[in-house]
Amino acid sequence: MSKIMTVDVLSSIKGAQPSEAVNKLFEVIKNANTTNNNAFNNHNNALSLNDLRDDLVIDSSDTEKQIIIENFPKEKNGYLVVSKVIEE
Amino acid sequence: MNKDITCTALVQEKLNLLQQNTHNTVNTLLDTLALDLAAKVDAKIANGETIGLLEGIPFGIKDVYMVQGTYTTASSDLLKNYKSAYTATAIQKLLDAGAIPLVKENCDSFGHGSSSENTIFGAVKNAINPDLVGGGSSGGSAVNVAKDYTIFSIGGDTGGSVRQPAGYNNVYGLKPTYGRISRYGLMAYASSTDCVGPIAKSIEDIRIVLNVMSGKDIKDQTSYVSAEITQEAISTTDNIKTVGYFKNFIETDAIDAKIKSDFLETIEKIKAKGIQVKALDFFESETLVSTYYTLAMAETASNLSRLDGTNYGNRIESDNLKETYAVTRSENFSEETKRRIVGGNQVLSQGFSDEIYLKGLALRDNIANNFENDFQEVDIIISPVTPSTPPKIGDSLKNPHAMYLSDAYTVGFSLGQLPTLTIPQGTTTGLQITAAKHNDELVLKFANFLKDTI
Repeated sequence: MSKIMTVDVLSSIKGAQPSEAVNKLFEVIKNANTTNNNAFNNHNNALSLNDLRDDLVIDSSDTEKQIIIENFPKEKNGYLVVSKVIEE
Repeated sequence: MNKDITCTALVQEKLNLLQQNTHNTVNTLLDTLALDLAAKVDAKIANGETIGLLEGIPFGIKDVYMVQGTYTTASSDLLKNYKSAYTATAIQKLLDAGAIPLVKENCDSFGHGSSSENTIFGAVKNAINPDLVGGGSSGGSAVNVAKDYTIFSIGGDTGGSVRQPAGYNNVYGLKPTYGRISRYGLMAYASSTDCVGPIAKSIEDIRIVLNVMSGKDIKDQTSYVSAEITQEAISTTDNIKTVGYFKNFIETDAIDAKIKSDFLETIEKIKAKGIQVKALDFFESETLVSTYYTLAMAETASNLSRLDGTNYGNRIESDNLKETYAVTRSENFSEETKRRIVGGNQVLSQGFSDEIYLKGLALRDNIANNFENDFQEVDIIISPVTPSTPPKIGDSLKNPHAMYLSDAYTVGFSLGQLPTLTIPQGTTTGLQITAAKHNDELVLKFANFLKDTI
């Protein structure tokens, strides 16, 4: 497999190409001046580690499980059918 | 509630209006659920039981929120038959308070758009002039409130998606401080700015609905504990002494002349009440829009990578697993969604991430710091909601870059995670009132003041 991935492969969208409208936005960022260019200064959006939820497994309700099964795109004998995994 | 009408009759009346409406606001009507709940409220009233403030009040839900057992399509082909397995925290709190959900509302697919045209259910038509767009992405929600089809609706705001359609349809729309309302069960677009936001016809309704939905939720680690906002607390404005506005938003050729003159007139009316008004420096509109879209696209490319048709969604089988992913996504995503996913993967790629994505993050820090400094000097910042009036249906799809730029006045406040309210006053598309982070109360207080001032 090639080490260079194009955006269509990265995005799993056939024939996808970068768009002019979006590239115009990126040009503005490239040319912008920042007072700090170090993204590791970013601390505005970090979560506190002192307030994490308990690491517990919570069983879903029967209704929830039933709806998840209903949403299966392809089902056989109560199992989710997926495509064959390719070998590369 | 006035006892002259039963809850069932009220709900039925609203359901009829929604069903017959020609503004394309409805993705799914929740008629059976709504009428069942209404009958229970009527039974409570008949038994002489006391009912809560929101009990029996019919409301709408943007079609990106999970409500167990209902279709949650995100207005997309990919999820057109997807049923929610659970209910979003914000919506569950409203249901627990007795409010009655009527409708899953039309919007831009996955929140990707500013006009509610990027949807498989037909473009949402503006409540005031149906030749114009309803705004977006929560267009169906804003139009339903404006037309009185729902008493309030719950939209979602990532870069302006509640505030802009509220402005386009002359109603109130609030983007609370990021984290005030749990995002659990809101389909993720750009997680670092996604907010649950109420749309209604009065400040009082916004206050009540906001109070019910707010609070810490263990299922959303970014949510936080907040105090209830009382009616009394927002009825006086004695602690608002200084108001700011961004002069570069106004002193530009990009703003509609009437919006500009109306905004400046509003400033004069505020000054006349003895409040000091300061003109503030801010980032160029292009920088704000580009920073927002760069980060939002990166986040949406990651969030939507799960939509591959394996566990749910409209899978299209192909030769092998990778082909199945690619065909499913190519056929089921709209052009706008694909554009944003590709853009996001571009900026996250090696070689681009440093000069675009990481720089975008640095710019976001600069913008947030700018707000922090501004709120040392002023109590409130006011701004127009949009530079222009709503476009005609069809125009935004032709020019995506122009559509991105139309978000110039809303995206900055999203990046700052600030509380911002659109009020249907001041300019044709309303005014935005913003306060410092966590100060949602001050926003509502100033809105009450402006209601009587302008």
